[in-house]
Amino acid sequence: MATLDALLGLPGAMAAFEFRGSGELLDHRIAYPDRINPTLLDLLAHMCAANLSIATLQARGWEQLTAMRGFYPVQAFTLIGFDWSVVVSGLNRERHKQSGQVSSLPPFLGVVMANERADYEAAFALLEGPEALP
Amino acid sequence: MGSNPVEDNNAMSIVSELLTRPGVIAAGEYAYRGDRFSYRGALSEEHARIASIMCRATTMGISMEGAMLDALCPDSGLHPPRGWVVRGPGQTVCVVANVFCLFDNAQGSLNAILACMREALDNRSQDLI
Amino acid sequence: MSGMIRRLLALEGVNVVCQFRDDGSFVVGYGRMSQEDMVQMARFAHDYRRMAQGNADQLAIFSGMRGWTPPRGWIVRGGAQSLCGVGNLVCMVDSQGAPLNEILLELREVSHW
Repeated sequence: MATLDALLGLPGAMAAFEFRGSGELLDHRIAYPDRINPTLLDLLAHMCAANLSIATLQARGWEQLTAMRGFYPVQAFTLIGFDWSVVVSGLNRERHKQSGQVSSLPPFLGVVMANERADYEAAFALLEGPEALP
Repeated sequence: MGSNPVEDNNAMSIVSELLTRPGVIAAGEYAYRGDRFSYRGALSEEHARIASIMCRATTMGISMEGAMLDALCPDSGLHPPRGWVVRGPGQTVCVVANVFCLFDNAQGSLNAILACMREALDNRSQDLI
Repeated sequence: MSGMIRRLLALEGVNVVCQFRDDGSFVVGYGRMSQEDMVQMARFAHDYRRMAQGNADQLAIFSGMRGWTPPRGWIVRGGAQSLCGVGNLVCMVDSQGAPLNEILLELREVSHW
């Protein structure tokens, strides 16, 4: 499972966090407390939960209208900010749902990275890796 | 190409460049205000129009969220946003400024596509008004 | 127009009312709030309106259902206070006890001026 500590090992990682679908921040690790604080992570978690919901609305609508496939269920949302990026994923939850374990869904996971060192593919690989299987 | 193309040679050159990349299905540009768009690739014009509307709405949303974050946590390093990515199991859509790129996960490289888009578009005005 | 906006403040439970331009800039505001906070509230209302409109447009496209767009307004309801936006107007009202239906009708009428 992609742990918060493993996410912090990504290139340029500044913080990692877990949150509920409602946006509530559950746990976090901060590598640079002078730049990132829990208040920002709390806001980011709520923002990312909202964006995952809207992206899911778009994926559902897009796939129904176009008959194209490939976006649902949304696996990750990434915001590329001015200096930093945040990548969040709910794939582990989807895997739990698909295996019928709906009563104890794991949290969403997120990582904040500095843009100049950010490796988005590595972040996805960690968040989506087979070891994340329940 | 959309019926109401956005006249911007620089943007269309990055769109053409993106289409040469492995896995890219379509790329295009949408206006921040109004419904103009232009695109190239394997999408119908109607589907490209819908994609442009979706991209515009998401960009507007993250722009607002960035402003709120900045108001609540100044110097958060996230505002103003440069772009966003939505990744599905088979495809990914990637937006920087007002240019979008849809690609197949199995063939496309997000890092390479994002780097290409940022190099071409990072200095573009993101004034949504 | 400012008299019409001020009239909204006379409604029970309405604490603040602000008007903003299409670019989100603050025009005028009345009520128990600093002007600085009113400017922020107007900015939020402008952004929230555009975001809600963008989402409603997508819902209309995907569902093929008429009647959602253009949206007439929005309400964010908190425990103690709620925000109601119609057109270029936004009100902060008490969540409990305020005649929300009447407030929305007034907002709609004033926003047409």
